[in-house]
Amino acid sequence: MDSDATEDQRALLDVSVRFMAEASPLAMVREPERRDAAFATTYRNQAAELGWFSMLVPESLGGGSISGNGVLDAALIAFRRGGLLQPGPFIGTNVVADAIARAGSDRLVAEVLGALVAGEASAAWAVAGAQSAGRLDGGVQASIGPDGAVVLRGAKTAVPDVEAGAWLLVTAASPDGVVQAVVAADAPGVSVVPLESLDLSRRFAEVRFDEVTVPADAVLRPRGSIEALLDRQLAVAATLVAAECVGAMEAEFALTLQYSKDRIAFGRPIGSFQAIKHVLADTSLALELSKAVTVAAARTLGAEDDYGPSAASMAKALVGEAAVDLAQNCFQVFAGIGYTWEHDQHLYLRRLTTDAALFGDAAWHREHLCQLAGI
Amino acid sequence: MTDTMIDVEEFRRQARAWIEANLERREKVRMGRVVGEITTHEQIDKARALQRQLFDGGYAGISYPADYGGGGLTPAHDHAFREEAARYVTPDFGVVGVVTMGPIGRSIAEHASPEFARLHIPAILRGDEIWCQFYSEPEAGSDLAGIRTRATRDGDRWVISGSKIWSSGAYLADWAMCLARTDWDVPKHRGLTWFAIPTHAKGVTVRQIRQINGGAEFCEEFLDEVEVTAEDVIGEVNRGWSVTQTMLVYERGAGETASATEPRNLAPDLVALARRVGRAQDPAARQAIARAHINDYAQFHLGRRIAQRLQGSRNPDHAVAAYSKLAAGVLTPLRARLGMEIGGPAALAWPAGDEVEARPALDYLNGRRISIAAGTNEVQRNGIGERVLGLAREPSFDTNKAFNEVLRNARNWDGKVG
Repeated sequence: MDSDATEDQRALLDVSVRFMAEASPLAMVREPERRDAAFATTYRNQAAELGWFSMLVPESLGGGSISGNGVLDAALIAFRRGGLLQPGPFIGTNVVADAIARAGSDRLVAEVLGALVAGEASAAWAVAGAQSAGRLDGGVQASIGPDGAVVLRGAKTAVPDVEAGAWLLVTAASPDGVVQAVVAADAPGVSVVPLESLDLSRRFAEVRFDEVTVPADAVLRPRGSIEALLDRQLAVAATLVAAECVGAMEAEFALTLQYSKDRIAFGRPIGSFQAIKHVLADTSLALELSKAVTVAAARTLGAEDDYGPSAASMAKALVGEAAVDLAQNCFQVFAGIGYTWEHDQHLYLRRLTTDAALFGDAAWHREHLCQLAGI
Repeated sequence: MTDTMIDVEEFRRQARAWIEANLERREKVRMGRVVGEITTHEQIDKARALQRQLFDGGYAGISYPADYGGGGLTPAHDHAFREEAARYVTPDFGVVGVVTMGPIGRSIAEHASPEFARLHIPAILRGDEIWCQFYSEPEAGSDLAGIRTRATRDGDRWVISGSKIWSSGAYLADWAMCLARTDWDVPKHRGLTWFAIPTHAKGVTVRQIRQINGGAEFCEEFLDEVEVTAEDVIGEVNRGWSVTQTMLVYERGAGETASATEPRNLAPDLVALARRVGRAQDPAARQAIARAHINDYAQFHLGRRIAQRLQGSRNPDHAVAAYSKLAAGVLTPLRARLGMEIGGPAALAWPAGDEVEARPALDYLNGRRISIAAGTNEVQRNGIGERVLGLAREPSFDTNKAFNEVLRNARNWDGKVG
């Protein structure tokens, strides 16, 4: 996807890549204990200096993008993040910043948005409820008081990268429809329970809300419909996950391709056998399709085109399936060596499989696409 | 690009005005070409008249060299015109038109002598000459360099004998571009030459082949001592393989299933079908519809990226065109299969004349074509593997052997390599 970048974007990518390689080299994925709270703070502060959290925020609110299309800028960063299996709430922070910029109260803009852009705090979108059949407001109920304050109860699961002192954007159900509120992860009544996870590069938590009271000015109130805001949030999240996923796909494919040239069997590099060559050709086509659809989604969404949410769902659906296929195909080429802890293959397998399911799996986004089209 | 060339957007504005003033609007948006339909001579005559109109207006062969009667502009200008004309009636020659304006015209422009190109390309762009390919043979398809049609020099003449097959629309064509072997004592790629043959020349028999969809667009030809002259050679004698490579790039890039504009309407044909059979709310059908549309969308954007990659480079790597071809070859049959699944019994049997219900079966049959034409999916996979990904080639038995010996050796092969 770098070929889609302008000169300014490339400059940002180059310095971002140098930062990532130094701050969080691939080997660190296997050492989660090194990624403690101090690490997270340093990483986030440095990333914020590079502008990682300002791209979806308008200049009038203290943000700014380099190309004028903040979603595309963020997607290009996400792509390189995926390739280097980077940790941290890049996606969550950008999604929440975008939502607050669009629908947050003055207080949220002043207190939360500024901190997110500056890297003083991160954010996570608490959206997936356990056993809620893909409903975005599943798992947490909101009751709205006469003063507009909201009380949250319930739990969200598999919330990615909830850092110490993070802000949570909670999507909850109420008798009057979907309610979205911003609440601190360390607020009274909120508990963050770490989960074990397939992906070693990200961390997941269950977040419980036990009668958590949120003041009225922490509730998002979009100018348009709440559904349109949700579609937007979901589209930003889907596009950025797809971009991270494509980056990881490309990196794993490059490792696999090199291996197929280096590994000798029956007197030839194994990549010269059509049994391997054709798998690699198909996989590379899937990768090219994935890049094409992800860049298209980022461009469309970032241009505030009404088709953005549809394009984002298409990217997420296509990339998610392609990623899981790619991980399997690459594993097949590596065979035994890829089944070892030391080999990087499983780090990608774990991350790609997780990316495929985060913020809606392929089947969910296909159904969403039909709904967006009014079918 | 020179400084004096008209800007694409300015060109688009001028083209739009010309199109509005000169072309008729199409009544409804075409859902995609149905390959199995037989193009008739009447349609060709109509298309010739319309092509002439485009030519006179300066909009035929927009990206062909001006020296050969074209517009001398870029593929981006060409694309802009197609986008603007998408809702208007434009010349429809069917597959033979795609072949003429694409692989044939481009190969002539790049490889023929200037005299030859000046004679034929303007005639092609005016609609006066329709061309087809005498290319594959009954015993040479994927291994195209293994063709056996023989051209023998006799003084200033060449005498050509052999048989050709899968020539799209040859029954409608005025001329054929024919690949023949001119030297049997060298390896296969080094003894090939291209010739221009009038399809009505003495010794040429063209026969339509009935296809699985009932149509008969493809033809087979028998060449019985067909005589042409040295002026009919396209490119250099025995250097025909480089012409072939140009031709293949344009064939694979043609992307006949990709639309000119970004597809945004959710698979309209499949939605109509699902509604017809009462499955618009069925989750399985909805998944299939979305899958088809996502692939259409991805294929369009893949095609656009590859076109930009080829156009944006001074030294383009044409091997990447195989991605477009493989995507079409894989996704077209898949889409057709999704249509069959959505349609269920209605896709298997339908009331006479019902287009919505008849279409899945037709697409199902037609969808086979793109996965074998201009190189099977497997040939594309080899191309991507070897020329894009840089994987070593399969061991070859014939690249360094005189073609004469290749056939004899192959028949006696005992399974040993090297």
